[in-house]
Amino acid sequence: MQTLIALVDCNNFYVSCERVFRPDLIGKPVAVLSNNDGCVVARSKEVKELGIKMGVPLFQIQQLVNQHQIKLFSSNYTLYADMSSRVMLTLEAFAPKMEVYSIDEAFLDLTGVCHQDTLAYGHLIRKTVIRATGIPVCVGIGPTKTLAKLANFAAKKWCKTGGVLDLSDPVRREKLMRIVSVGEVWGIGSRTTLKFKQLGIHSVWDLATQSSQRIKSQFNIVVAKTVMELNGTACFQLEEISANKQQIVCSRSFSRRLTEYTELFEALAEFCSRAAEKLRTQHSVTSCISIFIRTSPFNIQEPQYQRSATIKLDVATQDTRTLIAAANRLLKEIFKVGYGYQKCGVQFSQISSESESTQCELFDFFDNDLPTENRPLMAVVDQINRRFPKAISIAATGFEQSWKSKSERMSPRYTTDWRELVRVK
Amino acid sequence: MTSFILLLPTHRPCAMAIPLFSGKVAAGFPSPADDYVEKNLDLNELLVQKPAATFFVRAQGESMLGAGIHPNDILVVDRSIEAVPGKIVICALNGELTVKRLGRDNEQWQLKAENPDYPDIVIHEELDMVIWGVVTNVIHAL
Repeated sequence: MQTLIALVDCNNFYVSCERVFRPDLIGKPVAVLSNNDGCVVARSKEVKELGIKMGVPLFQIQQLVNQHQIKLFSSNYTLYADMSSRVMLTLEAFAPKMEVYSIDEAFLDLTGVCHQDTLAYGHLIRKTVIRATGIPVCVGIGPTKTLAKLANFAAKKWCKTGGVLDLSDPVRREKLMRIVSVGEVWGIGSRTTLKFKQLGIHSVWDLATQSSQRIKSQFNIVVAKTVMELNGTACFQLEEISANKQQIVCSRSFSRRLTEYTELFEALAEFCSRAAEKLRTQHSVTSCISIFIRTSPFNIQEPQYQRSATIKLDVATQDTRTLIAAANRLLKEIFKVGYGYQKCGVQFSQISSESESTQCELFDFFDNDLPTENRPLMAVVDQINRRFPKAISIAATGFEQSWKSKSERMSPRYTTDWRELVRVK
Repeated sequence: MTSFILLLPTHRPCAMAIPLFSGKVAAGFPSPADDYVEKNLDLNELLVQKPAATFFVRAQGESMLGAGIHPNDILVVDRSIEAVPGKIVICALNGELTVKRLGRDNEQWQLKAENPDYPDIVIHEELDMVIWGVVTNVIHAL
């Protein structure tokens, strides 16, 4: 049976989330800013039409913001995560197999699900999601993931599609591929695109008509598989079970420059706590922790400094205290006075399942400066914090947290806090 | 919010994990009530049919007193239910969220208040009106 894959992708997801609870902003220019209100991370159609690019720093567009009264929001990840899970829950009903690809997109396996009218099925998905959640989505359909992605791109770009496009038909496929740039193909980065252009491969069609053998020798197996997928041969499977994260990163920019060791350590301790929580949620342990600190790369007048450091732990852990102690040791190695630090972060790698990591061997060497793993203690801390958010924290994270990022334009947490519900007259 | 701070010893007591050979020993008499345990009643089960489409909103104003909706009540709203005449709906009226009863008299759609002090709103072409969801329950604190 011919496989049939749909990619459902939310339109301007963060902006759409804000608009569900602020219908007055529908049709008005809206942008969402990154942590610390630094850069634009989501734009409404109206903002895109003003020529504002993804990732531009706020100060560069301040004039446009004033002139067009662009409504700005700080990122409200609590809200976006809740709305995302609502979208995914709604989508689950449409296919026996689904892969949540990111916060705002999912692949559905429609093989054998809608034999007759795939387009009508796509429209049904679209209508159901917007009705249930208020989030508009586009649906791209094709025999492979790469073609579903391409179909979604086209469904978003051309309103004539009504937000749904099926690329099962090879004739229609060719027509589209001839007018879309190769850089829009799923998984093809800017560097590969550049290399393609030198070889005279400009459109998606140019790439699809290459021999996959030749592409394999000149590029790599993944690009060769992409060529096959563009021709309707499925090479990338749906990954249903979200693999546990192999890396957990927690980093942030500060609202002001940090100069003191203790300030940086407080921030790192807080990030360790957050990341360790994530680690425990996915029942994993880490045996490798890295930290980085840096000054602002945007301000060239200031003295620049940037360092990272990594420590391999003897015993894999998920204990916040061990991880904070390790981060402290690393910070001692790389911290230098005389700089205004603008950002820092922690990263856990070498992540494995907590059940795999057995208790210590009888005569294992212990690092005497690090607290020993105490899983029951951490489980209790997590339990309490789930009921009373942030009730318990490790003292090292500090009381004031004056480094906390600015998020002055944060919308209420409409769906996760009883005190912040939307009001209706 | 009250916060608690976990205080930690700066030096852990010298510890070394030694595996202990242990086995569970059953003791005591099993509770005769064990066989009758079913489950706790969960209000979500009663109030929320479609979790993905259910939102809670807070009522303001007195336009729907007659329907038993008081200021500060929490309304359970299901976006997936079809808004048919007679249902109490949340709608975005000129960009503002409002709760009213949806009505249809003589081919004319209306948003009706349930309080004589508030006028009904006749839906016409120039009005920007979008149905947001259907109210299924009111949570009212006494």
